[in-house]
Amino acid sequence: MVALARKTLVYEWRRFLPAIIAVGFAGLLQLLQLALVLGIFGATSIYITGSDGEVWIGYPGTQSVGSGRSIDANVEARVLMDPAVARVESYLWVDGDWRGAGETGGVSVFVSGIDPAANGLLFAKVLSPALRTRLAEPDAVIVDRADLDKLGVQLGKTATINGHRVRVVGVSHGLRGLGGINVITSLDTARRLDADDADIGPTYLVAELRNPAAAEAVAQRLQGDPAFGPYTAWSSADFARRSVRYWLFDTGAGAGVLFLAGIVFLVGAVITSQTLVGAVNGSAREYATLNALGVGVSALRKVVLEQAFWVGALGLVGAVVLGALLLVFARSQDVPVVLGPASAGACIVLVLGQAAVSGMAAMRSLRRIDPATLLR
Amino acid sequence: MSAQPANATVIRATDVCKAFDSGRLRTQVLDRLSLTIDAGELTLISGPSGCGKSTLLAILSGLQKVDAGHVSALDSELGQLSLSELERFRLLHTGFVFQGFNLFPALTAAEQVELPLTHLGLSTHDARKRAVQSLEEVGLGHRMRLRPAELSGGEKQRVAIARALAKQPQLLFADEPTSALDAANGQTIIDLLHRIAHNHGTAVLCVSHDPRLVAHADRVLTMEDGRILSDRRRDAATEKTSS
Repeated sequence: MVALARKTLVYEWRRFLPAIIAVGFAGLLQLLQLALVLGIFGATSIYITGSDGEVWIGYPGTQSVGSGRSIDANVEARVLMDPAVARVESYLWVDGDWRGAGETGGVSVFVSGIDPAANGLLFAKVLSPALRTRLAEPDAVIVDRADLDKLGVQLGKTATINGHRVRVVGVSHGLRGLGGINVITSLDTARRLDADDADIGPTYLVAELRNPAAAEAVAQRLQGDPAFGPYTAWSSADFARRSVRYWLFDTGAGAGVLFLAGIVFLVGAVITSQTLVGAVNGSAREYATLNALGVGVSALRKVVLEQAFWVGALGLVGAVVLGALLLVFARSQDVPVVLGPASAGACIVLVLGQAAVSGMAAMRSLRRIDPATLLR
Repeated sequence: MSAQPANATVIRATDVCKAFDSGRLRTQVLDRLSLTIDAGELTLISGPSGCGKSTLLAILSGLQKVDAGHVSALDSELGQLSLSELERFRLLHTGFVFQGFNLFPALTAAEQVELPLTHLGLSTHDARKRAVQSLEEVGLGHRMRLRPAELSGGEKQRVAIARALAKQPQLLFADEPTSALDAANGQTIIDLLHRIAHNHGTAVLCVSHDPRLVAHADRVLTMEDGRILSDRRRDAATEKTSS
């Protein structure tokens, strides 16, 4: 079989280059956009994904980690009664107003009060045991190194939260949040910083299970016992999804992202299909001659589709190489980017889908091919 | 190739009418035209521009449908074939040579000839063998690895003829095959077409107003205003005029 599609692509590469670049950049945009969105909105669940523990207990109807309300401190006893639970830790969330020594004005911070024990559950994946034990010191706080400038503070220096003096005893990495700056402190310090008298207990309880795989079942079992006031339980995976989904879809940010993805797809498809249509029209007389010789239109369509596939594949290779480089660069600059196999796969499907849509649009121009027009 | 006995009628057109609309104007291009085309002959259709000779070629080759009348080619009634059946008919039985050579810039001469053959169901090996044979027959055996950009106009037209010839068609249609070529190259093409008709028993139907072709044709049909004015055979030396 003569590989007409591939040979034409190689020989007339200049003709196809705009389409390859269009597909590549559209793919790159989708890839980076998705990685950024997952990175930024993934930060809204860093409290959960950065912690050990399989079940979270909080106020019923809580839509994201940042919007919790305090629950009765006695719920902890109820949770510990469940034989599947190995241990429980309290988590206190306090909204704070940070005043640094530098000229930063007031900065809105999210104070996370956690157990400073070396083997504590909360932020176990983000804080080293040595770092978190420093929180045992009264008024000690830990912040992300990327937030130091914004907070106008340095390691070892002091500032105030809600009028109380605190001291930065450590900096970490991977603590950046969305909508405010995360400050980690001990439960005791957090209680002192909490200006809200209505807070009577922890914001959340986090339970570690003997068998992590039982998270869903235990969360189901722990839900709502009216004797302990209002509370409910989620598996940590479920609660993390809930938080991300809240930011993605309930804040309008997600709609904006989806809209942009749609535009990028459309623009890429239009440029690609126009290039392919141009290539088909450029070879119209040759295609018509083949058709006169009895080569069916369906076989000609396959040639166009194959060209679209190669354009998509080459564009994809470019997008993946450039995307990988940019993602590595972004990581080195503390830009939150996250790209898992599933989202990378979605991007690949999207790019090839775009090439397929363009190929089909270009195939329509084959309809105009009529070998009788070659006779004059 | 299923060789036809020489002088067997392979195309029969009866009372063929064809008109084209351009805006509100309707032009009758072919007007109750009847003719037969025989195997093993180079038949030339000549006539002034716009006399309907290219339309006749399109109709006899199954590229266009008639408004009225019948065309049967190799015992197939072309008017009754569907679009895909017509494609199949052309694939199995016809070859085309156009004024423009219409070669793919990316393919070598051998690949141009092979391309339709693979659609005929030939294996890659057989297709390659036949392509080489055809290119050798048109005198391009030594140029088959070259792309169109590296070939002269005459060579390109010979590749186009090899592409049509390799299918071993019973019917070969050529539309102004020499008008883009100089005298020497034109002569080569004429000789080739003539040889194909005689050696392969192919019915070669050629549309041209090139006077050089007239001397080499076995039969010359002269057209005007959608009708055949004269039908002359070289060997028979008989001339009949139909209206």
